[in-house]
Amino acid sequence: MNVSAVLRVAPLARLPLAIGTIAFAFLGLFLLYPLWGVLSASILTPDGTAFTLDNYAKVLSRSFYRASVANTLTIGLLATLTTTLIAVPLAFAIARLEIPGKVLLIAMATLPLVLPSFVGAYALVLLLGRSGIVTQFLNAWGIPFGSIYGTLGIVTVYTLTLFPYVLLPTVTGLKAVDVSVEEAAQNLGSSPARTFRTITLPIVIPSVLSGALLVFIETLENFGVPAVLAEDKPILAVEAYKLFIGETATNPSAAAVLGVLLILSTVTVLIIQRRYLAGRRFATGARLAPPLTRVGLGWRVAATGYCWAIVLLALVPFFAIVVLSFMEFRGPVLQSAFSLSNYAELFATAGGPLANTLLFATLAACIAALIGVPIGWVLARTRSGWTSLLEIVATMPFAVAGTVLAIGLVIAFNAGALVLTGGWLIMVLAYCVRKLPFTVRSSSAILHQIDPALEEASISLGVSPLRTFLGLIVPLMLGGIVSGMVLTWVTVASELSSTVVLYSGPWRTLTIVMFQALEGTGAGMAVAAASVLIAITLIPVVTAYRLLRRYEFSML
Amino acid sequence: MGTIAIEGVRRSFGSVEAVRHLSLDIRDSEFFTLLGPSGCGKTTLLRMIAGFTEPDAGEIRIGGKRIDTLPPHRRNIGMVFQNYAIFPNLTVAGNIAYGLKARKFAPDEIARRVTEALVLVRLSGYGERWPHQLSGGQLQRVAIARALVIRPEVLLLDEPLSNLDARLRVDMRGEIRELQQRLGITTVYVTHDQEEALAVSQRIAVMHSGRIEQLGAPEEIYRKPASLFVARFMGTTNVLRGVAGARDDCGTRVRVGPSELLVPVLDAREGEALSLCIRPEALRVIVGGEPLAADSARLEATVRKTEFVGALVRLDAELADGTPLKVAVLDDPVAGAAPGSRIALAYDPARVTVFREGAP
Ligand SMILES: Nc1ncnc2c1ncn2[C@@H]1O[C@H](COP(=O)(O)OP(=O)(O)OP(=O)(O)O)[C@@H](O)[C@H]1O
Ligand SMILES: [Mg+2]
Repeated sequence: MNVSAVLRVAPLARLPLAIGTIAFAFLGLFLLYPLWGVLSASILTPDGTAFTLDNYAKVLSRSFYRASVANTLTIGLLATLTTTLIAVPLAFAIARLEIPGKVLLIAMATLPLVLPSFVGAYALVLLLGRSGIVTQFLNAWGIPFGSIYGTLGIVTVYTLTLFPYVLLPTVTGLKAVDVSVEEAAQNLGSSPARTFRTITLPIVIPSVLSGALLVFIETLENFGVPAVLAEDKPILAVEAYKLFIGETATNPSAAAVLGVLLILSTVTVLIIQRRYLAGRRFATGARLAPPLTRVGLGWRVAATGYCWAIVLLALVPFFAIVVLSFMEFRGPVLQSAFSLSNYAELFATAGGPLANTLLFATLAACIAALIGVPIGWVLARTRSGWTSLLEIVATMPFAVAGTVLAIGLVIAFNAGALVLTGGWLIMVLAYCVRKLPFTVRSSSAILHQIDPALEEASISLGVSPLRTFLGLIVPLMLGGIVSGMVLTWVTVASELSSTVVLYSGPWRTLTIVMFQALEGTGAGMAVAAASVLIAITLIPVVTAYRLLRRYEFSML
Repeated sequence: MGTIAIEGVRRSFGSVEAVRHLSLDIRDSEFFTLLGPSGCGKTTLLRMIAGFTEPDAGEIRIGGKRIDTLPPHRRNIGMVFQNYAIFPNLTVAGNIAYGLKARKFAPDEIARRVTEALVLVRLSGYGERWPHQLSGGQLQRVAIARALVIRPEVLLLDEPLSNLDARLRVDMRGEIRELQQRLGITTVYVTHDQEEALAVSQRIAVMHSGRIEQLGAPEEIYRKPASLFVARFMGTTNVLRGVAGARDDCGTRVRVGPSELLVPVLDAREGEALSLCIRPEALRVIVGGEPLAADSARLEATVRKTEFVGALVRLDAELADGTPLKVAVLDDPVAGAAPGSRIALAYDPARVTVFREGAP
């Protein structure tokens, strides 16, 4: 083989290579370079010339920051535990028992995935906080009520908002156990209970654990819930933000240290998942899911009550917020009169932020699809060394807390050749990077269901690879692309953790309005903003529910 | 001219050599079949012609023009895929028109050619149907029409019938062959079904681990296999291990245990180990005192089992030393030979193929 033959790129490899180049450029510039910024801020002396571990020593010598690591991990573990404990029985009931209104139940159980969790946290404060409605009611009757701030409140909110992450894969896992496997066990003399313990449970445990790990990662990265509920308890994501934005003195290198610790925690979890779980999903190739288990009336009533109680309880806070938004507030104090004054105030002062939210979400959804769908195609269709690397880089945003990515973006782009801080573009870029894994993963998942021979048939009929991709494959993927965009749109609209670091005066979003109203006294504004957020996340999700259920939720 | 010239083509995947330095000339208007067991490299070779797999070395020419350097969408090759690869988002007519639109034909020309193509594959009136409304056989016809409508120089088919049921497979292969003859288009057909290959091909290349084991007309490959591998692959056969004996004017005598078979004269020295292949249907049961035909030789065997499969009766017999021997005879009262009975078999020595390799 001569040199020109080595350098020659096979015709069919050109399009994947071009896409790969663009993808690496984008992710390199807006993900890896900022992350390098965070890392180098943590391991270099302030003038950036020498390697040092001083920053780590300084941060870790303070018990406050050591506590923040411990708190974050403890809360994460507790929330993962409670979530799993309530979600697994729920999954079993949904998959195997006769529950009235099951379709609606499943639909409602997925909603917490897209509703903004810090709105849930805020609702908890409004209801059960120090001057919460329920608290006051109880106090009036002389019933003492402890504090929901700190660990208890945070774990409660996480449990109620994150349980679908365990529920959905477990239901899928339980349905994927082929009936013949269980029948074989019973045929060999195993009782139903023993069959469940020795056959069914081991088959679904990997699904349960992978859901649980997602919950754990979510809790590590979450900013809004601890920001609302932690009070004085230090939490990594929040402290990193405070150190970086700092009301008194900013300390970027200390913020970077916390950021690196946060990333290390999530990466450790992800590596555990890869190592111990990836190979452990049992391919059961179910052709026939087991039939519903027959149980007595008592059990049926109990199961039905349990399922509906959990699902409704998870939605109550959001419902409460919407109701409260139509009541009058004087400062933080609730009046017993209905009015639209909260909305009047919101639209009078926060029309801009609402428009920003809609605009940014739309831009981010479009850009993420534009970049993510081709990457998904490359990952599904091309196998080589560089595509494995691309896969790792493109799923990396999962492991990076929004706060940390945002800090990195600021470090990377507030000086030098490309200055982006202070504008809206840096926010949209942060959203795109953070949500890219959604579109990439869903696109490649759909493509695995589209026969690659279709592309070859089109090419052999004389249509170039690029035009085949755009004209044939993209239309075939449309359902999945749209559902990926809806999910991106919805989660960007309620994004807080990177927004809070990156926004500037004219580019406030609705979540920032709410965040600021929480800190001040504008409870009325906050509930109105929260209700609008609930509406703009719920409406697209309900509209596109069928698509989402088919393409997005099935992938958990 | 739709000749295909393949010269020294090679392709490996990692450590697997899928196609090893293979050369082949396919004639214009020929129905040419690549036949071989799973994994022997048929698909890889076909995909290198189509351009979906890059050769590591070698050249491919169509009608004298080098095409392995062209991107696949510029090769003007019609391809029919194993699972049809019908675009589910287009109607039957839309599927057939797809390649014509890529070539920017005028709409009325496209409409005319699509109608023509539908007639060709006997699907007139199905143009507005959606793929999911068609049966497997109909989808296969759409795939063929779609590949032919662009008037390709050559047509490639990769196991086009493997997803159809047995009956339809027989009908469709006849249809494909008839269509190919009518259009006179050079066709490369991939299959691992030897009966299918024998039925439709003008020439067959039997492939084995990335190489061509034998190239020839169907009869030649069946009757005169070039190797034990081909003999075994082309249908049931008896492989007997023997030792070369004396030579006379009738042929060479080969000892198989205590029995002796007569084979055409060969220049093997006495005592050399040989393998003999004789097809079950080349053996004939001799009834009673029926005289032996002049060119026949005779063999004694014991019947072990008989199997009645309709037109044929299969006998599992044994030579004196227990060497198994399969015999197939047309249904005939004589075939009712009871297990345990001794029978005499007649065969034409010319139909015994001898390999100077010890059978494994
Ligand atoms: N894309 C690929 N990557 C790795 N190995 C491959 C690839 N394609 C083919 N091979 C290997 O090359 C060899 C030849 O494969 P090929 O598909 O050409 O066989 P085939 O004769 O068409 O078999 P079949 O009758 O099963 O379709 C096999 O060992 C196969 O595993
Ligand atoms: Mg093949």
